[in-house]
Order: sequence, then C-alpha cells, then structure tokens
Amino acid sequence: MNLAQALAYFLREAVVGLARGWKTSLLAVMTIGFSLFLSGIFLLVSINLGSMVDAWRNESRIMVYLEADSDAADLARVADLIESMPWVRAARPVQAEEARERFIAAYPSMADLLEGWDQDPLPASVAVEPDWPAVNATTLANATTTWREDPAVSSVDDDRDWLAQLEVVTTMLRGLATVVGGALLITAVFTIASVIRLAAHQHRDEITVLRLVGATEFYIRGPFYAEGTIQGTLGGLGAVGALAASFIALQRRFGDGLLGSLVASQFLNPTLLVALVALGAAAGLAGAILSLGREKADSARAAAGWGSEE
Amino acid sequence: MIELYHVSKRYPGGQIGLSDVSLSIPRGQMVFLTGASGSGKSTFLKMIYREEVPTEGQILVNGRNLAALPAKKIPYLRRTIGVVFQEFRLIARKTVFENISYLPRILGMDSARQRKLAYDTLRRVGLAHRINAFPLSLSGGERQRVAIARALINEPEILLADEPTGNLDPELSEEILHLLLEVNLRGTTVILATHDRALIDRVGHRVLTLDQGKLAEDRELPPGIVPNMRAGAASAPGGDAAPEPDAALESDAAPGPTTALPAEAGGTS
Ligand SMILES: Nc1ncnc2c1ncn2[C@@H]1O[C@H](COP(=O)(O)OP(=O)(O)OP(=O)(O)O)[C@@H](O)[C@H]1O
Ligand SMILES: [Mg+2]
Repeated sequence: MNLAQALAYFLREAVVGLARGWKTSLLAVMTIGFSLFLSGIFLLVSINLGSMVDAWRNESRIMVYLEADSDAADLARVADLIESMPWVRAARPVQAEEARERFIAAYPSMADLLEGWDQDPLPASVAVEPDWPAVNATTLANATTTWREDPAVSSVDDDRDWLAQLEVVTTMLRGLATVVGGALLITAVFTIASVIRLAAHQHRDEITVLRLVGATEFYIRGPFYAEGTIQGTLGGLGAVGALAASFIALQRRFGDGLLGSLVASQFLNPTLLVALVALGAAAGLAGAILSLGREKADSARAAAGWGSEE
Repeated sequence: MIELYHVSKRYPGGQIGLSDVSLSIPRGQMVFLTGASGSGKSTFLKMIYREEVPTEGQILVNGRNLAALPAKKIPYLRRTIGVVFQEFRLIARKTVFENISYLPRILGMDSARQRKLAYDTLRRVGLAHRINAFPLSLSGGERQRVAIARALINEPEILLADEPTGNLDPELSEEILHLLLEVNLRGTTVILATHDRALIDRVGHRVLTLDQGKLAEDRELPPGIVPNMRAGAASAPGGDAAPEPDAALESDAAPGPTTALPAEAGGTS
C-alpha cells in the first residue's frame, strides 16, 4: 500500500468512524470549536481596539497652553519653538478669542459661562501635530519638559497617556485570548483524546486482528489520526463560521457606534482565520496521538491493545 | 524453517506455557501438534507469529531470530504466516468478505482483486455463497471455515491452525483436513494443533506431543491419506498405513484411537 492509497484509506475509515460515532464526534468538534471561537472573539476585540487606538493616536494632538497673561508675541515665539523640532509636522497657534469662538460654536448653551471675565477665560494655546511615526516616547518627554520650562507656558496636555492605557487593555485582551483560548484548547485536546480512545476501544477486536495479520502501526493508527484531525478541522471551521456570524450580527446591531467600532469594524484577516483552523486541526491530531499513546516496546503486549485497557 | 532452541514460556501469573522445547521444522513440512488441554499447544503457535515471546530460549523463523526482530518488522513476519485462531477472532460488524480481506487490503490490492481473491478462497472452504454474510448469521463450522479462509487468503509460507476442526462434524473436518494437506502440498509449512487423535492417526505425518509444556514426543507417522480435493471425505488411497493405537496419550476429545479408515463417527466437536 503506497502513501496515497494509505491516506485515502485513512480518510475513508475516518469518515466512516465519524459517521458511526457522530454524537461523540460532535461533542469533540464542539469543544474545539468553542475554544477557538472564544479565542477568536478576544482576538477580534483586541484587533479592533488596537486599530482604533492607532487611529486615535494618529489623529491626536498635543496642546500647549499658555499663561493667561501671555501676549501674541509669546504665542508666536512658543509656536516657533515648537515648530523648530524636526518631528513636528505643524504647530498652529490658537488665539484666546479663537478659543472662545470655538467653545461657543461647540457648546452654544454654555456660552454665558464665558461672559463677565476680566481676562479671556480660555487661554491661548498651540496645537501641535506631531509626525507620530517619527516620535518616540523619550523625544516627546524631553520636548514637553523643555516647553514647560518656557515662562509663557502653563501646561502641556498629551492624549498619549490614556492612549497608552488603552494600549495596555489591548495587550491584556490579546493575552487573555491566548490564555483562555489556550486553556480551553487543552481541554478540547483531552476531549478529542477520550473520544478517539473510545472509538479505538470499540474497535479493539479489529485492531488485534489487524495486528495479527500484519498491519503496521501506521496503518492501524492512521484512521484514528485522520479522525482526530478531521474533528479538529471541523471545529476550526465552525469557530470561523461562528465568528463571522457574530461579527455580522454585531455590525448590524451596533453599526458605527462606539461599541460597533470597538469590536466590529474589522474582521480577522485571512491568515489568522487559516491559523485558527490549522490550530483546530493540530489540536485534533494531538488528541488522537495522545489517546493512542506510545508504541509499547514489547509488541506482544501491543498485540493485545494500546495499553489503555491493560 | 522454524527452529526452537530451549524455548520456555512462563506467563506473568506463573503458568507454564512451554518448558525447554527444542525442535526444528523444515520448510514444507506437515506437523500435528497435540497434547492435553493446557499442555501449551496454543502457546507454541503464538510464539511463532510472535503474539507471545519466550521467557527463555530462541525461536528462528526462516533464519530470523524473533527475539531480535525489531517491532517494526513484526508485521512483515506476520504477513507470511496464516493463522487460524482457536477463538476465530472474526469481527461481528464486518461481512465475511471484509473479515477475510484484511491482509489483501493492507497489501494495497485493488477492490476487484480483493473480491476475486476472497471469492476463490471462500470456494476452497465451501463458503462462496456466504461472502456477504455477517459472522453471527453463520454456524460454528462456517465461522471456522471463514477463519481458515482468512488465514489462507494470501498463500502464506507458514500456516498455523489452532484446532481448525474443533467445531466441525467428521465429514467437514475431513474436508478441511484435505484442504490443509493440499495447502501443504503446494509448499506451505502447516502446523495443526488438535486434540483429535483419530484424525492424527489417520493422516500420519509428523506428530509433536506436548505434556505440561514439555515436548513429550516427536515422531513421524507414515502418511496415511493424501489430499484428494474432489473426493471430499471419501477415499484414503495413500496406502494402508496402520498406526498402532497409541496408549501413552490421553485424549479428552476423541473417543480413543481408531484405525485409519475414513468416515468413522469418531466425533470431534
Ligand atoms: N495469556 C495467558 N496468561 C496466563 N496463562 C496462560 C495464558 N495463556 C495460556 N496460559 C496458560 O498456559 C498453559 C498452556 O496454555 P495453552 O493455551 O497453550 O494450552 P493449549 O494446549 O492450547 O490448551 P487447549 O487445548 O485447551 O487450547 C495453560 O496452563 C494456560 O492456563
Ligand atoms: Mg489452545
């Protein structure tokens, strides 16, 4: 029997085996599918959150606020100072009046809050638009320190603090995907192992005959390995299908809202999807290998079964 | 060629399977293996196809030392040995065809050839019409013949038959015997374990007698009957060999030794 014949035979036997024990097989498929699905959900959220953080970061600015008593010359000087940094794409001075007009435009109902002040209640500021990819944390920290030292500058406001916190959340989600998904996947491997062990146990009479008439271990185990791999693959495909369905449902439900963009603006890329299915297949194969154990050195005992029933 | 050198087998529970057996069976010989129940006949056969390994001594099959045979090579040894198991080992879920076609399938024969081979082999044991039956729907004797067909299917170099006539009526066992003799004539070494002294006396050839694991006797009886396929249980033209009644041996199945004439009612089963 050549390899192609053997593989075809393994597949045929595995499919027959799956069909015969479809209830237990379904259990195995579902545990694998569920663990991969859960990992997939965590991945989906972390990827969406991650890309949102990236987007926010690219849009985010640094605001340098001036002292209330600063004048137009101070503003121009600070803006120049900032713009001289190589990584600053633009530094736009915002006059106190402009700030006030913008506030009123944005919050008309609160316009009277700005009435009756001696000075402009909103300080002048410089909106810094960094070339984010060109900045690293140290450069930025050094720069903000320098700016704060300028007597006309009252404070520097950097969105990056909370963006960094969001980033921590994304990383944690990714870790969770790995840990929870990994733990569940291990459970799934053991489930598959018991399902295959059961199948092998039900066939032990036939396995004994196969051994005694001269079947190799490869030939005997092949169908079971194929069965585990098929179960794992089906679980992986099921997980991908469930992920796609959930994704579409979430998009329908939450659309462009915050929650929608948090979990459902971007689906897992094809590589990840293939990886999920491959992970399922590998888990199934691992379960089968685990269940059949190692070959006993003493084939006389091996002839009687796979050790598990001895 | 099967050679045993001081072979002993002690089972984990302490039972003696074989005890210091040395002998040699040349290629193509017809050998009967007899002895009381529990004397080690099955153990002897199991060691040759390496279902059991000796606790002491060496077994060589066609020059290969079984103890030194790596696990990976065992399947290839077994493919050259046909075994009729005492307990048949037929798979109830599988048809007769599937039961006897394990080896052809392992060898990668295409299904048409498997089918033809199965059919031809079943015809030799008179069961061609039951090719699609399941073992549970067969009589004891039919199951036995399926087990024989499975052992014969790939023309083994060595045929080990453990009580192959145990469940058969005299007429059928005679037919099976003819079949095995015919297989032997084609060059296969045949070792047949049986309680049936009458059968042995009638057929002759080499007879090994085991007693509590020991080789108590190894003798050559003049061939009694020669295989005659078509004649069924009828004739015994091979001469009038007159095996003397063998007092030394008890027999728990056959009603005592008989002289070598066919169709006596000396029941097996
Ligand atoms: N797997 C085993 N474990 C322990 N003891 C065994 C095993 N197989 C056989 N024995 C013992 O070894 C001895 C020889 O057994 P064996 O089956 O070879 O006898 P036998 O001549 O084939 O008997 P029978 O005619 O009843 O088939 C017996 O005492 C038996 O109890
Ligand atoms: Mg026996």
